[in-house]
Amino acid sequence: MRTSTTTTSSGITLSTKSCRIKFARRFLRSLAEIKKQKRSSASSSEEEICKRSKRIKMAAYSSMARAVGPRMNWSRALLFKLRNRVSYPRLVKKKKRVTVRSNKVPRSKSSVHIDRGNKLRKLVPGGKSMDYICLLEETAHYITCLNTQVKVMQAIADNLSK
Amino acid sequence: MDPPLINEASFSAANPAAYSLAEIWPFGGEPGRLGLRMGSLGGGLGESSGNRDGSLEESTVTEQSGGGGGRKRKDVSSEDESSKMVSTSSANGLKNSSGKRMKLEGSRNENGNSKAEVETSSGADDKPEEQSTKPSEPAKQDYIHVRARRGQATDSHSLAERARREKISERMKILQDLVPGCNKVIGKALVLDEIINYIQSLQRQVEFLSLKLESVNSRVNMNPTIEAFPSKDQFDAATLLFGSHTAREYGQGSQAEWLHMQVGGSFERTA
Repeated sequence: MRTSTTTTSSGITLSTKSCRIKFARRFLRSLAEIKKQKRSSASSSEEEICKRSKRIKMAAYSSMARAVGPRMNWSRALLFKLRNRVSYPRLVKKKKRVTVRSNKVPRSKSSVHIDRGNKLRKLVPGGKSMDYICLLEETAHYITCLNTQVKVMQAIADNLSK
Repeated sequence: MDPPLINEASFSAANPAAYSLAEIWPFGGEPGRLGLRMGSLGGGLGESSGNRDGSLEESTVTEQSGGGGGRKRKDVSSEDESSKMVSTSSANGLKNSSGKRMKLEGSRNENGNSKAEVETSSGADDKPEEQSTKPSEPAKQDYIHVRARRGQATDSHSLAERARREKISERMKILQDLVPGCNKVIGKALVLDEIINYIQSLQRQVEFLSLKLESVNSRVNMNPTIEAFPSKDQFDAATLLFGSHTAREYGQGSQAEWLHMQVGGSFERTA
């Protein structure tokens, strides 16, 4: 048990550097692609800007998930969701409505832990099908990856805006 | 007290289930022999190979006398007691191969002492209890890292639950180290709240940065030669405006379920 946890934690610490480089490369590549597409349709209306920022966000998440690779549950789930969202956008909307309804029902004082666990499950991609222990592990990895993602994006934005 | 002797052939043919049980329960033999074996095993159990020797011997013995079969099946039903009895006997100096000990209450230890003495002397009276100590040892070895303190339950379910709780607390410690300012917070619920807030803030930050990147990208794209400051300021203002607008849009649930955007949150943590 202890050995497994130490390996996972060391894996996280080891993988952050390579992850950062991989993510930066992929993200820059996708940014360049988005630029190319923008040249064809250069408009500055609000909707266009919203769409583009969403595309950049999706590119960031997908490049992060690809940089991590399929060994973590959350990256697999994220890639799966992104693919599904691209192909079936209407299905996702329906699912969203259902989850909103179910959120309002369970609220009791005894199940505070379960409530928070469910919140975490919603935040971490693919967390709905996870064991609680597994969920905590994946959350740790997800947090480190999000941190690196934010740092890299900040650096790119700073570089571009100079 | 002596169980009736049955032929080897008839016993093994009649109930093979009991035969397999006899291999699991090492001390299923006739009580007369058991007393002798207890004497020999008392020295031998200190080593790790002592248990195996006993079980091997016993499997051969129970082929000859299958009378212990009925009694063994009773022991199956009373396994709740057996798991408790394991700890007493192991605490009394029968070393397991794993070297793990379970400590129970003092009164229980005393009971165990007296019982062990009785068993070594007569061996016949407390035979079911002595039998029941053996089968649950392999189950105990599954949870090597778990130790039961004084007065803690030692049946397999609570052991598993304790192991799970230890795992969860370890993961929580890792998470606490990851999330800044989470070490001072006491209580699992509050820690979880902090973690959730941190993840939400990070995701919000990603959204904000993507907006910023979009503006920068489009500015560079649309007129890459012009990089005047007023235009940049305009674009920053535009991103701020559109930022609130897009946040409202996400809040309506029309887009991006997987991003779990939170509406109206202040950027205290992101800044």
